[in-house]
Amino acid sequence: MGAKVPRNFRLLEELEKGEKGLGAEACSYGLTEGDDLLMSNWNGTILGPPHSVHENRIYSLTMHCGAEYPDKPPTIKFQNQINLPCVNPKNGVVDPSKLPCLSDWKYSNTMETILIELRRYMAHPNHKKLPQPAEGSTY
Amino acid sequence: MAALPKRIIKETERLAKEPVPGISAVPHEDNLRYFDVSIHGPQTSPYEGRDGTVKHTHVHLSNVHVGGIFKLELFLPDDYPMTPPKIRFLTKIYHPNIDKLGRICLDVLKSNWSPALQIRTILLSIQALLGAPNPDDPLAPDVAKRWKEDQEGAIATAKEWTRTHAMT
Repeated sequence: MGAKVPRNFRLLEELEKGEKGLGAEACSYGLTEGDDLLMSNWNGTILGPPHSVHENRIYSLTMHCGAEYPDKPPTIKFQNQINLPCVNPKNGVVDPSKLPCLSDWKYSNTMETILIELRRYMAHPNHKKLPQPAEGSTY
Repeated sequence: MAALPKRIIKETERLAKEPVPGISAVPHEDNLRYFDVSIHGPQTSPYEGRDGTVKHTHVHLSNVHVGGIFKLELFLPDDYPMTPPKIRFLTKIYHPNIDKLGRICLDVLKSNWSPALQIRTILLSIQALLGAPNPDDPLAPDVAKRWKEDQEGAIATAKEWTRTHAMT
């Protein structure tokens, strides 16, 4: 096992990857405030997967990385209303027990891992035809 | 966790036994590759944390530093010393080569890194960078622009930020 990268340097790596756009094309992420030295609050976007009710919709999310990240996963909240079994319909918060990358959280998982998995979850045969709130509505 | 390489153990011991004046680097107990660093702003620089117009005639006592103290964090990656340490400021600082997240633009941390360099030499280079800002190779373009167009104003802001953020 290699050296354990401390939280802040790990978040700087994720930031640089997000800034360069080396990540998945359909997802993006960055710091909410560019001068947040603690790097706790992040914004993410997911482009709705094709051949689903989400096609052409853009979903904004907030991600909060606490002091124990990445030992513990971030908390994820949709800004745009979405009807998905893993999302609390009242406030948009993602239920970590219902998304495998959060419930079986690993140190090597990143915010990009979560965004990609959420997008896959949206395209899942059981979810891709769920009726959705009006486009652009927020919590 | 893998055993700590001898090179890192030796560097850590020497940092404790023969500290560099105005610089300290202490490893975390639970991660010996991760250091808490503090650097005193160099004398006669805007980061000194004193009124630069006063001539210093007194003897400087290293254990009663009253000026600006900047906190940083340093991490030695797996392939150190083949790759440079990762380092950033935790204290807010107004400097053309340091960005809003505390990241540092310094050649020896990038292309000019050599395994012959050490934690102590890197920290000395950073302290020297505080004494000699280089707005021609900026990381914070807005700060660098001001440094070139209104150096006096930029230095005044740097002094003010030092008082606000580095002297608490």
